[in-house]
Amino acid sequence: MTVVQQKICLLGEFAVGKTSLVRRFVEGRFDDRYLSTIGVKISRKALPRPAGELLLLIWDLAGGDEFSLQSSYLRGAAGALIACDLTRASTLAAFDRYTEQLWALNPGAPVVFIGNKVDLVAERAITDAELLAASQRLGGPCVRTSAKTGEQVEAAFALLAEQLEARR
Amino acid sequence: MAPPVSGPEPISPNGDEGRLLASIRAILLSEEQERLRGLALILENLRGDHASQLAALQSEAAALRAELERVRADARATDALARDLQAELEILRRKTQADSEGMVARVTPVLGDMIGRAIRDSRDEMAEAIGPLMGEAIRVQVRESRNDMVEALYPVIGATVQRSVAEFAREMQRNVDARLKATFGPEGALRTAAARLRGVSPGELAVREALPFRIRELFVIQHGSGLLVAHSHPGSADLSDTALISAMLTAIRDFVRDTFGPAADGQAKELDEVQSGDNRIIISSGRTVYAAVVIEGIEPEGFRAQLREFVSNLHVKHERALRLYTGDPATLPNLQPKIARLLAETVGSASGPRPLSRAQRYWLGGAGLVGILLAGLACFYFQFTVALMPMAFPSATPTLTPTHTPTPTATTTATPTLTPSATATPTFTPTWTPTHTATPTPTFTPTHTPTPSQTPTATLTPTPIKAEARGNVWVRPGPTPAAARLEVLLRDTPVTVLAIYGPWAQVEWFLDGQRQVGWVPTYWLTLREPVPADRVTPTPTRSR
Repeated sequence: MTVVQQKICLLGEFAVGKTSLVRRFVEGRFDDRYLSTIGVKISRKALPRPAGELLLLIWDLAGGDEFSLQSSYLRGAAGALIACDLTRASTLAAFDRYTEQLWALNPGAPVVFIGNKVDLVAERAITDAELLAASQRLGGPCVRTSAKTGEQVEAAFALLAEQLEARR
Repeated sequence: MAPPVSGPEPISPNGDEGRLLASIRAILLSEEQERLRGLALILENLRGDHASQLAALQSEAAALRAELERVRADARATDALARDLQAELEILRRKTQADSEGMVARVTPVLGDMIGRAIRDSRDEMAEAIGPLMGEAIRVQVRESRNDMVEALYPVIGATVQRSVAEFAREMQRNVDARLKATFGPEGALRTAAARLRGVSPGELAVREALPFRIRELFVIQHGSGLLVAHSHPGSADLSDTALISAMLTAIRDFVRDTFGPAADGQAKELDEVQSGDNRIIISSGRTVYAAVVIEGIEPEGFRAQLREFVSNLHVKHERALRLYTGDPATLPNLQPKIARLLAETVGSASGPRPLSRAQRYWLGGAGLVGILLAGLACFYFQFTVALMPMAFPSATPTLTPTHTPTPTATTTATPTLTPSATATPTFTPTWTPTHTATPTPTFTPTHTPTPSQTPTATLTPTPIKAEARGNVWVRPGPTPAAARLEVLLRDTPVTVLAIYGPWAQVEWFLDGQRQVGWVPTYWLTLREPVPADRVTPTPTRSR
C-alpha cells in the first residue's frame, strides 16, 4: 500500500481553537507542551484513499502576533487550515496575514478557512457573510466548525485533503 | 396625659373685658395646646415602644446568656474529652514505646495491605503524594546517616550495578573474541598496521572497537518539510510513527537554528547531536536531506565520516529527486540498498569482523600484486645470480679438482656417505646441485658416477677423523639451519667427521651402543686433526 505523506499547517490567532480542532481530529503522540515550548506540535492523521493512504502531518503552530510565528515551520507545507474565532471579529482580520506568510514560502498552497466556535450562537461577532467574503477574497473555501461539539471538523480536514489530492 | 395649659393671669377691670381677653387668649393658645397634646401622645407611644423593645432585648439577652452557658458547658466537655484523649494517647505512646516491635507486627499487615491497595488503585496519586516526601526523606537520610543508607541500599544497587557491569563485560568479551578471530586475516593485519600508525597497541584498538554500539534506527529526512524520505529499523516500525518523529525532529532542529541564529562565521548552527540517556541521535546534514541515526553506546571511529559520506553520496546521485520530493514515495529512488550498505559497514565494524571497504579492498589487492611482483623479481635475481656464478668465478672449482686425482679412493669413500644423508631431507637435494658446477673439469665428473653402488659403512672405517663437541648443539638431518632438529649432541661427546659441506660437518657418534649420524655446524666441533680435502664437498660459497 502506498502511503503519501503531506505536511499541512494549522494557523490562526491565539485561542481561536486550533489545538482543540486538532485534538478532535487526530491521534497524537506528542504532548501539548511542545506547542508552548518550541511553538509547534505535530500530529498525524491517516486518511484512506483509493490508491493507498494519505498521511497528513499536521503542524499546529502557536498563534499570536506576526512576530511569534516561526516562519521556518511553514516551509514545505503542502497546504494549510487557517482558523478564526467566530466570537471575536479581530481574528478574521488575521486571515490575510497568515495566508500571505504561507504563500510566501509555498506559493499556491491550498488553504481552507475555518470559522470555529460556531456553537456559541449568542456570542457571534462574525457573520456567515463576513466569513464567506473573507475566504472568497483569499480564494479558498470556508467551513464553520465547533471543536467543542465536533461539528464539521472532519469535513474541514477532508476538504483540504481533497484539494491536496487534486493538486498532486 | 397632657399637662393643663395655663396662660398668664388675666387683668380685667371688669368681667366683659376679662371674658374677652380670656376668649382671645384661648383662641391664641388653642393651637399651641393642640400641638402640645400631640406631642404628649407621641411621647406616650414612644414610651410604649421603648418598653416593648426593652422587653424583647431582655428576652434575647436571656436567650444568649443561656446559649453562652450551653457553649461553655460544651467547651468544658470538649476540654475534658481532649484531656481524656490526650491521656489515652500518652498511654498509647508509652505502650508503643514499651512494645514497639509488637505494635509494628500488628500494624504492618494492615498498613501493608492499605498501602498496597492504594498503590494499585491510584498509583499516580500515591506517587504524587509520596514522591516529595520520599525524596526529602531520602535526602535527609543520606545527609544524616550516609553509611546506614549505603548499607541498606548496597544489596540492591550493588546487584544491579554488578548485573549491568557483567552484561557490559560479556558484550565486550564477545566483541573482542570476534576481533581476535579475525586477527590473522587481512583485516587483522590492516587493523594491526592501523593501530601501529596511530601509536596504540592493536589490543587497545581492539578494546576501543569492542565497546558496545548499536544502531537502533536510521532516518533520512527532507529539510524544511520534515517529510520522511527513507527509514531503516531492525524491527518493523509503523510508518506513521516514524513520519511523525521525523517531522518533530525537524521542528526541533528548526527551533534550535532559529533560536540560536547563525554562528560567528555566518553559517547556520545546526543541531548535530541529541542525547537522551543511553540513546543518541547523530545527525549529518546535506543540502536537501539530512540523516538522523539513533544509536546506543559509543560509535566507532570514523562513523560520522561514513555518515557524511552516505549523505553526500545521496546528494550526488539523487539530489533532484530528493529536492522535488513532496511525500509520494513513487517519485523517489530506492535508497534501501544504500542504507543497508551503510548499516552493514558501520554495524559490522562494531559487532564483529568488518567487511573491507572498497578502498581497503583496492589497497589490499594492489599490495598483493606488488608483493607477487617483488617475489618474482627476487626469484629471477637469485636464479640469474646462480647461473652466472661459474662464469663470474671460473677459477673456484679447478682448485679442488687436483685434490681428487691423487686420492681417488677417498673420493669414492667420502661421497657415498653423503648420499644417504642427502636422501633424508628434501632440502638437502638442491644444495647438492651446485656441486655439479664442477662438471667443467672432466676429471671430477667420473668420480660421481660410481657412488650409488658403493656401501657407505664399509668404507668409512679406514680414515676416521676424530673430533669432539665444543658445546651442546642441535643435530640436524641436513647441512642447513632450516632442517629439523633431531637431537642434541652433548658437549665433549667424541664424534667422527664423515664429511664437510660448507660450515656444516656430518658427524657420527654412538649413543648407548646405537650409531647416530647427523649434521652440526663445524663451529661446534673441536677437530683433533685437519679434515682432508677429499672429505670437503665444494660449495658455491666455498668456491667464492
